[in-house]
Amino acid sequence: MEIRPILSALMRSKVSMILIGLQVALTLAIVCNALFIIGQRMDRMNRPSGMNEADTFTFGSNGFGQGYDAQAVLRSDLALLRQLPGVADATNTNTTPLSQGGWNSPINLQPRQKSATANTAFYMVDSHALGAFGLRLVAGRNFKDEEVMPMDQGDRIQPSAVIVTKPLAETLFPDSDAVGKQVYLGEDSPPSTIVGVVERMQQPWIDSSTIEYSTLIPAFMPYGNYSRYLVRTEPGRRDEVMKAVEQKLAEANSGRIIGRMRSMEQTRADAYAGDRAMAIILGTVIVALLLVTALGIVGMASFWVAQRTRQIGTRRALGATKGDILRYFQTENFVITTIGLLVGGVLAYALSLWLMQAYQAPRLPWYYVPVGFACLWLLGQLAVLGPALRASRVPPAVATRSV
Amino acid sequence: MLKMTHLQKVYRTHLIETHALRDFSIHVREGEFVAVTGPSGSGKTTFLNIAGLLEEFTGGEYQLDGVDVHGLNDDQRSRLRNEKLGFIFQGFNLIPDLNLFDNVDVPLRYRGYGAAERKKRIEDALGRVGLASRMKHYPSELSGGQQQRVAIARALAGSPRLLLADEPTGNLDSLMARGVMELLEEINRQGTTIVMVTHDPELAARAHRNVHVIDGQVTDFDSEPALRAGSRESGIGNRESVQAAPVSP
Ligand SMILES: Nc1ncnc2c1ncn2[C@@H]1O[C@H](COP(=O)(O)OP(=O)(O)O)[C@@H](O)[C@H]1O
Ligand SMILES: [Mg+2]
Repeated sequence: MEIRPILSALMRSKVSMILIGLQVALTLAIVCNALFIIGQRMDRMNRPSGMNEADTFTFGSNGFGQGYDAQAVLRSDLALLRQLPGVADATNTNTTPLSQGGWNSPINLQPRQKSATANTAFYMVDSHALGAFGLRLVAGRNFKDEEVMPMDQGDRIQPSAVIVTKPLAETLFPDSDAVGKQVYLGEDSPPSTIVGVVERMQQPWIDSSTIEYSTLIPAFMPYGNYSRYLVRTEPGRRDEVMKAVEQKLAEANSGRIIGRMRSMEQTRADAYAGDRAMAIILGTVIVALLLVTALGIVGMASFWVAQRTRQIGTRRALGATKGDILRYFQTENFVITTIGLLVGGVLAYALSLWLMQAYQAPRLPWYYVPVGFACLWLLGQLAVLGPALRASRVPPAVATRSV
Repeated sequence: MLKMTHLQKVYRTHLIETHALRDFSIHVREGEFVAVTGPSGSGKTTFLNIAGLLEEFTGGEYQLDGVDVHGLNDDQRSRLRNEKLGFIFQGFNLIPDLNLFDNVDVPLRYRGYGAAERKKRIEDALGRVGLASRMKHYPSELSGGQQQRVAIARALAGSPRLLLADEPTGNLDSLMARGVMELLEEINRQGTTIVMVTHDPELAARAHRNVHVIDGQVTDFDSEPALRAGSRESGIGNRESVQAAPVSP
């Protein structure tokens, strides 16, 4: 390949080379980092909540009027829900994963411990929680009905039995089986016994740094007259059951309003709306940059081919084959792109370093840049192919015909 | 060396047909220096382009150095141009972004020579045209006459059998033109066949033989070997008379 004379010819038209090279450099730097950020957002969005999201929905019941007995309504609602056609299981719960709201509390191995062993989210549920959420029990047992105690807002949380997630169990008891062990959930509370371990159940907050640490508390606990339910339906019947539930529960008790009826899929979409928007914006930026770079290369190469028509004809007259001319422009593009990519590689790592310092972003994995090299080399070659083919079709007679 | 018989070239555009060459026959022998003259538009460049395999012809026959050119594909024609022919253009056609060394290198790279061989040939060729000391200069730093010398060096570097020149002095003043002409004569003396298109009768007269083209046809074709000696004599005579002209008031 005649890289040396191509390079020296390019050095004589530095401005255009610098323009295209810089464009390639910026594209590499931005695309690498943007792709990495998109990848991180996708990883974040793809974290499993641990629960069945496809067939579940939540809703609230808000009682009004005098003599409204929230505890009684809660139980009768659950009984009604569980016998509705299409309902697989149902539980009361104060919150769900992905809902962004709930309770967070220290969980300790000793009473009155100065610094917490771990922080956990609480889910106040009854003995149907495993079935309703679709959680996987990996050790111990489910709650017994008699362990589920009525609770009021402001009551101390002192259940006799709790179920914890596996990551929490392993943090609390790294060296032994957590089942049967005692933990302390409040300042002066009596200990609670871990009766079961579920594989996974995320905390309600997607930004939590301890998102895998959750604890199930067996309790019937309305907030005043408000209570919340989670229903799992038979596969594919969620939307139909949602409508039926709204209607049946309203009919069953006219002293309250059924509201905030939401599928878990909707809840997830809302929770990650920001991440999704970021991924879409960055994706658009990537596509736009690649397009602009490709068009820039096409434009510049077309201009050069037009400008050098006589030179191409002369080269043909001096013995260049069509293939030689094609390769000339391909090599020229390769040289410019490579120079741009070398600069862009440095820029990519510099941008990553800046993102790390300014936004505590993780470091760009090293392989993004070489993969970016390969992609932009390919992009450059595809972009230059049209103009290069046009150049190869310049007839040799141009050498004598155009003066 | 170059033999065309009943050659035809028709340019077809959507509106008109131009018969640029009709029944064009010429025979150039090895070692000759032939000048092709004729009015503008008569077909001189067309002839040279076909001779140089830059264009195809539409009828007749053409043999270049014993090779029947008809039916060669594009790559074979490129190869033949590279190996057997040297081109000199009216506009020099140097590549402005390459220095003299790299300009002369262009056809040698297409030939596929190694670096050492190319270097030797480039230095030789630039030496022959008297520009060995300016190899790192760019064309724009040279006068027109010097640029045409570089183009001649580029044409010579591959040791062609036949040198084709289309009005090589057309863009030069008379002093530079004379220098270029003298260089071509010397190259011819050293054995390279030259076909040169020119409209300058003074230069044409210095060739061994003149071929006059009018309307795509050879009208004054003294190709008989017997006449060649006489033709050369008359050429020299012409030159003398022309040279004498400025002296007499
Ligand atoms: N590519 C072309 N298409 C159509 N006509 C052409 C083309 N090239 C040359 N001609 C015509 O062919 C004739 C001969 O042209 P040319 O060989 O260039 O003449 P000269 O070099 O003697 O001035 C002219 O009439 C010219 O207009
Ligand atoms: Mg002409």
